[in-house]
Amino acid sequence: MTALALTSTPVFAPLAPVPQAAPAHWAYRRNRMEPGRETMTGRDTSALIAAVAATRDRAAFAALFQHFAPRVKTFMLRGGANAAQAEELAQETLLTVWRKADRFDASRATGAAWIFTIARNLRIDRLRREWRDAPGDGEIPEIADETAAADAALSGHERDARVRAAMAHLSAEQTKVVELSFFQEMPHAEIARALGLPLGTVKSRIRLAMNRLRDLLEDLS
Amino acid sequence: MTVTHHPSAETLGAYAAGSLDTARRLVVASHLERCGVCRRAVGNFEAVGGALLEDLPPTPMDADALTRLMARLDAAPEPATPQARPAHDMSGLPACLAPYALGRWRWIGPGLEVRPILLPQAGGARLLLLKGAPGARLPQHSHSGEEFAAVLTGAFTHDGGRFGAGDFEEADESVEHRPVVTPDAACICLIAIEGRVRMSGVVGALLNPFVRI
Repeated sequence: MTALALTSTPVFAPLAPVPQAAPAHWAYRRNRMEPGRETMTGRDTSALIAAVAATRDRAAFAALFQHFAPRVKTFMLRGGANAAQAEELAQETLLTVWRKADRFDASRATGAAWIFTIARNLRIDRLRREWRDAPGDGEIPEIADETAAADAALSGHERDARVRAAMAHLSAEQTKVVELSFFQEMPHAEIARALGLPLGTVKSRIRLAMNRLRDLLEDLS
Repeated sequence: MTVTHHPSAETLGAYAAGSLDTARRLVVASHLERCGVCRRAVGNFEAVGGALLEDLPPTPMDADALTRLMARLDAAPEPATPQARPAHDMSGLPACLAPYALGRWRWIGPGLEVRPILLPQAGGARLLLLKGAPGARLPQHSHSGEEFAAVLTGAFTHDGGRFGAGDFEEADESVEHRPVVTPDAACICLIAIEGRVRMSGVVGALLNPFVRI
């Protein structure tokens, strides 16, 4: 049903020119993809969000749900949620996508990045409160809206390809610490323990990896 | 006025990843409100987060999850509008601080006052405003943890250079510095402090028993 919706929905822009970074991008994808795992390009995601915003397109929303909800659920699980919390937060994330679709600006962020920020903010807001058993005020500043890159001219597709190309330039070790710092609610000391490395090594590896990424992505926006 | 001191890439990455505690997140956010360069860097790190999210292995949702969510779409209320008035009465603070109430100004030394920002969560770094009168000198001090500071108004200088409005500084245990407020105007900084600040030097040693920062 998803595949049908994807090919029959008339919301997709014509193919964008292949970005310069394509070879690295595809290599990155190929290395990391498991057999039978579906992917969605940046262009598709942006177009689906735009369709939800413009016409409250439920088929487009269902396609976004099928692709992202199970991944957001994994994200929440890795962040320390139990199965029920992860399920609820994944649903909540997609509900927010539906409600705020008109705030998504494809010229400023990839669809995946936008959905990531929604999931991240929900995780910050909800999980921290529940875990630490502290009284919450329910108010998290809208980080995503405050900080979205302002004056970009790249399409979501190009941006997505460039980000993947940049990530492909990291060493396997650097990729590992970047993934850990994005997906595990983990202080550096715990990352060090998980990797069996001295704390100083982990700190400098994270520093190097983040500097590298920032530099590689600098001309992105 | 140009911003010359920025958060490290590592800090911007941690901000984008959502792994900073509330106090540090807000100090970074207040810098981002004034710095387009770092806003773009954070946007790029968020794009990395999006790509990593797409590469995560899916965990199956409950069988009826989509059906139930579809039913909620119709009933979905409009998202609540953000509160119109800040929870505090101090003007000129970064927008990201609007939801938080403030404690009282407290004297901590000649020309120096601090005012806590009341965060709902216990744990993590503490967040406070530090106000220095023109020319005020912070006692020499070191940190038992990491410190983030963003200059809101005025400026201070120390060995590391001049820090004016919008500038950001990160310091850890290894840094022992002695900032001096520039003589032209008072300086207000937003500071996230982890652990305890130890005053050193003669003045600091006198202040330590009284001043708990």
